[in-house]
Amino acid sequence: MAEVRIENLRKSFGAVEVLKDIDLTVEDGSFVVLVGPSGCGKSTLLRSIAGLEPVSGGTITIGGRKVNDLPPAQREIAMVFQSYALYPHMDVAANMGFGLRFARTPKAEIEARVAEAARILQLEPLLKRRPRELSGGQRQRVAIGRAIVRKPQVFLFDEPLSNLDAALRINTRVEIAKLHKLLAATIVYVTHDQVEAMTLADKIVVMNQGRIEQQGKPLDLYYRPANLFVAGFIGSPAMNFIAGQVTQGGIDLGPDGAVTLAGLTAAAVGSRVTLGIRPEHVRIADGEGGLRLSATVELVERLGEAGYVHLRLPSGTVAVAEIRGETSLRTGDRTSLALDPTHLHLFGPDGRRMV
Amino acid sequence: MPQGTFLRLLVFFLGPALLVYSVFSIYPLLATILNSLYSHQRDGSYLWNGLGNFQTLLFDPTWSVPFWNALKNNFIFFLIHMCVQNPVGLLLAALLSLPRLRFRATYRTLIFMPTMLSVVVIGFAWQLILSPLWGIAKMFLQTFGLGFLFAPWLGLESSALITVSLISVWQFVGIPMILIYTALLAIPDELVDAATVDGLNQFQAFVWVKLPLIWPTIGLVSILTFVNNFNAFDLVYAMKGALAGPNFATDIMGTLFYRTFFGNQLQLGDPSMGSAVATMMLLIILIGVMAYLFLVQRRIQRYSF
Repeated sequence: MAEVRIENLRKSFGAVEVLKDIDLTVEDGSFVVLVGPSGCGKSTLLRSIAGLEPVSGGTITIGGRKVNDLPPAQREIAMVFQSYALYPHMDVAANMGFGLRFARTPKAEIEARVAEAARILQLEPLLKRRPRELSGGQRQRVAIGRAIVRKPQVFLFDEPLSNLDAALRINTRVEIAKLHKLLAATIVYVTHDQVEAMTLADKIVVMNQGRIEQQGKPLDLYYRPANLFVAGFIGSPAMNFIAGQVTQGGIDLGPDGAVTLAGLTAAAVGSRVTLGIRPEHVRIADGEGGLRLSATVELVERLGEAGYVHLRLPSGTVAVAEIRGETSLRTGDRTSLALDPTHLHLFGPDGRRMV
Repeated sequence: MPQGTFLRLLVFFLGPALLVYSVFSIYPLLATILNSLYSHQRDGSYLWNGLGNFQTLLFDPTWSVPFWNALKNNFIFFLIHMCVQNPVGLLLAALLSLPRLRFRATYRTLIFMPTMLSVVVIGFAWQLILSPLWGIAKMFLQTFGLGFLFAPWLGLESSALITVSLISVWQFVGIPMILIYTALLAIPDELVDAATVDGLNQFQAFVWVKLPLIWPTIGLVSILTFVNNFNAFDLVYAMKGALAGPNFATDIMGTLFYRTFFGNQLQLGDPSMGSAVATMMLLIILIGVMAYLFLVQRRIQRYSF
């Protein structure tokens, strides 16, 4: 396994820049997940690493070797595609051994490696079947098997679970996590599903409009998002944002009221800021206090062990509060919210996090 | 459902199609076969002749020599289509599906254009092009100092059939191209990406991944070619007339049938012998299609992506 280092990577299609100055290091043996909304460039970045897309500038290094000008087969990578991309006219064993056949690997070794991968993935009874005789989950495993037999330096996964149904997706997710441990593999994994990202990743890379917005450990991104985009993208339901202005000793939220907040520098007074707080850090509570806002209930979603109350603040901003257990709140009720001061996020006028 | 209602529905839905097919397809077919078993008399009457017409056609030198000649020519006609038209169609389709090709739609339209033109126009145009007197083919070759290569191809017994076949290939190459092109488009890009990661170049990916997936289409194109070639008539008739000259060098089943059934110059039309020729054509096509269905079609796997 090897480290992947990406420096100043740029990629444009004509005048459209799809990747702008990407700097990213995937440590040896780590699991890096690229997330972002569709069109953010995450798949293009993955395909650039694979060598399926030529890049416009910058360098890609795999295991200390610059691979910019190498074809995919010589980059020592293996890729698992969203549609699995199994060859329909070959059986499972041939599908897995196809790349090795073209690399002139001796037949005995191909067989040994295919058998090994089949053992790991429990595909042994299926080796002589064609892809169309397999279920979605089995096809997925064959696609992973095809990657394993190549003994690559890096595994690349392009939204591998999005064609599976919900139950199978959870199973396969666990399988992939186990496989990562078992093979001590370096993995770059693209998804738009943040549960996959949070559970699988050693490092999450959040991308938006061709840029890396933030990279870091899953919980770091969750608790200390670097900017409004990451704050809004990571976490479900999304973080609440309330616009305001810094005053002496607090933040004026306009018609929504004001909150007192220590630790703001005097220089910040007067600047427009956005207050962010996650639904689980908003409590429904009557009474008054420094971090209380009044609101009207718009909708109550009950999920059983938890629930979400959608509220409208006087300014018209919509906020969501998480509740535990049952609630007597109903649409139209007036109530007040208590914000947990230790979990407040503050973003400046440029969208960056303020300390 | 009551029996009566079911029958009425059956008649309502199947009736029209059954009627049209019966009147315009099944009846003429059966009538032709029946006709071929009679002998047409000078006075216009018909006498039962059993398989006599076929015996004459296959074994009496007056009839059998032209028959075997036409059949041989027709097979050559077909083989040239199989060896030139379909591989070229495949090649053009592969080129058209190259990812970074510009003016794709223009090429596609231009290549397909001759297919939409009338055979008579094509025949006439090529006769002018190839004319030894004023044809541009001769002048074109002379411009490059290759004038010695020119010959009156359409007028030589040795080259007339090949020339006519190639003109037909030129006209119809758009059909295999468009059918195979469509099949190639249906192959997902990710499959080619997977092959690229597996170390195949574009050409190898075509041979090892795409080609196996378009065999069903190539099979279909082949059988269409076979049926069309053995029913061909118009191009030869337009360029060489019913006598399919020189010295019957371009005579195929269609032109032989035309002369036999309708008559030509000194040859009197003979509906019975004509029907016998038509029945032989039907049999040949039937054997070809059956062989394809039972020997080839069954071994071809179809894939959904």
